[in-house]
Amino acid sequence: MSLEPTFQLPEQMSTSAPHIDNLYYFVYWLSVVLFVGIVGAMCWFAWAYRTRPGHKATPTPHNLVLELAWTIAPVPLLIMLFHWGFQGYMDLSVAPAGAEEVRVRAFQWGWDFEYKTGESDSKLHIPVGRPIKLVMSSNDVLHAFFVPGLRTKRDLVPGMYTSVWFEATKPGQTDLFCAEYCGGKSKDQNGNELDFAQFKGHWAMHSDVTIESEEAYQKYLDGLGGNKPPEERGKSLYEKKQCIGCHTIDGSKGVAPTWKGIWGRQEKLSDGTTITVDENYVRESVLEPNAKIVNGYASPSVMPTFKGTLKDKDIDAIIAFMKTLKDK
Amino acid sequence: MAAVDLPIGGHAAESEHGDPNAPYYSAKKGWKSWAYTLDHKRIAWLYLTMISIAFLAGGIFALLLRFELWSRGKTIVDAETYNRFFTLHGGIMVFLFIIPSVPAAFGNFFLPIMIGAKDVAFPRLNMLSFYVYIVGATFALSSIIIGAVDTGWTFYTPYSVTTSNAVISMTFGVFVLGFSSILTGLNFLVTIHTMRAPGMTWKRLPLFIWGMYATGLMQVLATPVLAITLLLLIFERFFGAGIFDPKLGGDPVLFQHFFWFYSHPAVYIMIVPGMAIVSEIISTFTRRQIFGKFAVALSSLGLALLGFLVWGHHMFTAGMSEFSTMLFSALTFFVAIPSGVKIFNWTATMYKGDIKLVTPMLYAMGFIFLFSIGGLTGLFLGMLSVDIHLHDTYFVVAHFHYVMMGGTVMGFLGGLFYWWPKMTGKLYNEAQARISFVLVFIGFNVTFMSQFIMGSRGMPRRYYDYLEQFEPFHKASTIGSWILGAGLFFTGYILLSALFKGKKAPPNPWGSAALEWQTETPVVLANFRKPPIVTRDPYDYHLATEAELFDGFPEDAPKVAAKPSEKTPAKKSTTKKKDEE
Amino acid sequence: MANVTETVEGADAHDAGGEGHDDHDAHPAFLQHHFDTPAQQFDASKLGMWVFIATEILMFGGLFVAYGIFRASDAEVFFAAHKVLDKQMGALNTIVLLFSSLTAALAVRSAQTGKRQMTSIYLVITIACACIFLVVKYFEYTHKLHDGLLPGHCFGHPWFGDKCTEHGSSAVPISVEGLPPRANMFFALYFAMTGLHGLHVVIGMSILIWVLIKNIKGQFSPAYFTHVDLGALYWHLVDLVWIYLFPLLYLVG
Repeated sequence: MSLEPTFQLPEQMSTSAPHIDNLYYFVYWLSVVLFVGIVGAMCWFAWAYRTRPGHKATPTPHNLVLELAWTIAPVPLLIMLFHWGFQGYMDLSVAPAGAEEVRVRAFQWGWDFEYKTGESDSKLHIPVGRPIKLVMSSNDVLHAFFVPGLRTKRDLVPGMYTSVWFEATKPGQTDLFCAEYCGGKSKDQNGNELDFAQFKGHWAMHSDVTIESEEAYQKYLDGLGGNKPPEERGKSLYEKKQCIGCHTIDGSKGVAPTWKGIWGRQEKLSDGTTITVDENYVRESVLEPNAKIVNGYASPSVMPTFKGTLKDKDIDAIIAFMKTLKDK
Repeated sequence: MAAVDLPIGGHAAESEHGDPNAPYYSAKKGWKSWAYTLDHKRIAWLYLTMISIAFLAGGIFALLLRFELWSRGKTIVDAETYNRFFTLHGGIMVFLFIIPSVPAAFGNFFLPIMIGAKDVAFPRLNMLSFYVYIVGATFALSSIIIGAVDTGWTFYTPYSVTTSNAVISMTFGVFVLGFSSILTGLNFLVTIHTMRAPGMTWKRLPLFIWGMYATGLMQVLATPVLAITLLLLIFERFFGAGIFDPKLGGDPVLFQHFFWFYSHPAVYIMIVPGMAIVSEIISTFTRRQIFGKFAVALSSLGLALLGFLVWGHHMFTAGMSEFSTMLFSALTFFVAIPSGVKIFNWTATMYKGDIKLVTPMLYAMGFIFLFSIGGLTGLFLGMLSVDIHLHDTYFVVAHFHYVMMGGTVMGFLGGLFYWWPKMTGKLYNEAQARISFVLVFIGFNVTFMSQFIMGSRGMPRRYYDYLEQFEPFHKASTIGSWILGAGLFFTGYILLSALFKGKKAPPNPWGSAALEWQTETPVVLANFRKPPIVTRDPYDYHLATEAELFDGFPEDAPKVAAKPSEKTPAKKSTTKKKDEE
Repeated sequence: MANVTETVEGADAHDAGGEGHDDHDAHPAFLQHHFDTPAQQFDASKLGMWVFIATEILMFGGLFVAYGIFRASDAEVFFAAHKVLDKQMGALNTIVLLFSSLTAALAVRSAQTGKRQMTSIYLVITIACACIFLVVKYFEYTHKLHDGLLPGHCFGHPWFGDKCTEHGSSAVPISVEGLPPRANMFFALYFAMTGLHGLHVVIGMSILIWVLIKNIKGQFSPAYFTHVDLGALYWHLVDLVWIYLFPLLYLVG
């Protein structure tokens, strides 16, 4: 192991990082000392008392003092370690008053960050030098929000809210991972192999966090599409909400029906009936993907429900976007 | 002998099992004599065979996983297959290999011998536990055919409720395997309580037996909770019961509590037997009583007790209350104390010993080396704020491999080399064995040391693909896995070639004072020709007679100034002990 | 002190070369070859059963913990739901099981004193009580199936209607007779707990039948009645679990 201080840990980008890193390195050096002591003694004994003609083992003595010493001596040290760890943990748990809240939803397989403006995005942007609190939940299975640079991690559990807070200290981009295994798919619903780029799963929830100046952050929030025309909003939702993962817009066959020319199309359903794609059908399919499945696609559908994720005006925007995708 | 020859019971039973004074493996012949055997030594062999196959299978999956991670993107298998592979690697290694490994193989073979009994208390249950193991393994592995499980070995809900139906057969298999484990534990507990030879007091009990006792307690008390957890999971799959499903008012975190209430003690079910073997080996090859033997014995029980109180430390980021998080963190640090006591006492035993650096001793020292790393990295994970960063990364993967593989498997391999002459009656090739140890030791460290670093730098576990910055570490780890694999295959070769064409082993090739080395080789069906009466501690080298410590063949024994009372060398095997005074 | 020779001679009685197997005591037919004395064999068996009972209690313990957690988080719903259970039926079953525990204990007593006939009679009564218990349980279960008082998705869907057991089905819990859909959790636990207990009744019954057959064949004597003792011990466990289930599910809610 290298002795370079940052070799074992990623760059420090939050206010909690120095505390965690200092503790990490304290325990690291403590461990090195203990390890070298124990293994050194072991190797030295193995050499010094190796068997050879005329050499005999001394019968093992009793030494209660020594035994008690190394049973009790670690206790204060352990209590100290516990105390430091707990202290840091409490600081990480309790968000300072006035922290800006960002609502996080995770799903198989992606993220959705909803900012105070009510707009949402699949990427996380945070301002530097200001506490941010994430209020998180999951739509389906367990996920975990993990940003090594910020030294933060918390599970997202369906059916409950969890939260983390942090204050970034320097602008830049850093990695965001899902740290709780959440499955994966490398075949489409019909069992056909997908290309590597199309694989979806746990590791594919990797994303990044952009830490930026206050001005850039505000600019980003403004640009999130509050004032855009509905078609454009629909297009960006199509990309950000991962519709793009399954529904194509160029007419090619994907995991799910293409959106090219979808508006007003007659679709044969898996139960044999035929419907026309209209506002009500789209709305229902977004909220309850299993209600009506187009014939030839997987049943039950693998599409997650967007109930609670997409608001009415978002669905309207998507419908507006669909209407632009005419079959020509 | 007393002149009462009652033509009843026990006698009939005896002839039904074969001549009690014939070698156990030839007392009866034919495959049926193995399939229906009640002899603990044969059952140990059946188990050893099956768990070796499981180890091989789990190991092959490990090599495939490491090979897949050799390069970014797809190397050999696709993502779904990768997820199934790591589930199978974990499931097979935990439930089919490590948990039964030491207790079911060495415990079965040596526990009765070491306490001077003829067999375990319930030979039929013992056989049943083996067949239950086979049934459980069949169910668990049949999941591969009916769709393969991709949940990871922890079966976390709600993912395990939504993914393929094969989860049912796998969890049912694990449920059944749990019963096998309970039966073994129960049998050992009762055997240790009721079957000890005259003079085998609790104080004189070998440390291996203490380890088995602690393990048995945990198996018996923790496994039922796993059983009910898995039953509820199956209930959930069949009826949509909703106990773990938030949509129906259930609680997915409850599953984690239940699961770890078993699986944390299970970690100690795995490691305590490994420690138990190391104690035996260190005593034999330092020719000395274990320093603070009583403390080492107590530390096994201490680990068993603490094992039940710290399950929450697997869930620091899972959404528990701050109070429970604090409590579990505080309790977790206490695990360091019994673990430390063992390490310190072993090291102290070596001081002023007479140390023979043969393969089993190398493995015992390897255990101390690797387990120290595994234990010390546990301190990082016990500290709440540091764990927030390290949880669910490769740091954790490396940590538990240092404990499970660096600990238990090192102990297991050490035990194999140590007891192989007694179990098979054959000697292995020492030079080859040392080479295999070096390969295993180096391969292991290369594989997992690099995982520590990539973990602390932020590489999450169970990832099919990774970022460019982690590539050198993954490459190193994969190369390490090849060295490790080569070392283990070589180990297999050495042991098998010893079995088939090794030189005949004397009864006590290590010159050990412990009781299991005092019976003859090959071990007779009844374990001892005459029931032993124990008069000293198994590690009391200064009280053992020269005949007891003699490491050659009985034929040569007279050369080493046998006691006058020993008329024939064969008598040596009947275990005479002196009083401690 | 060196007493090597002495101890070896002392143990010589065992050196029967496979011919005799005589210890200090005679070696009766029921004594398995690896035990030295009947007392040792009995102690081992008894301890084994106690350890096994400990595992059973921990297994049910998991369910009790789950019950406690969900009850604490939704006490009113649990209270409302428990009223649906038939207290008379539950009480009847409790009396039946308590009585069967008494007869099981009496069976042990008769075996101890060598009254083979009486042992058989008591065992038959115990087994009959187990049957009564199961019949009552059958009526309780069918009643709940009929009313749709079922776990999870199936709550409100009588006889598992609407394909509610299929994974990923669209069935959702619906209200039953003034119970909110959330009451599904109570019934999930009810079926899990009483179902597992019912399974134990069946297992206990099978064990008692096996013991009864052995008793009729005359394999027990005042010197050896381990199976009767252990069978009854297991039956007491089955009874004990019910003693906790009845108030928790039927009375307290």
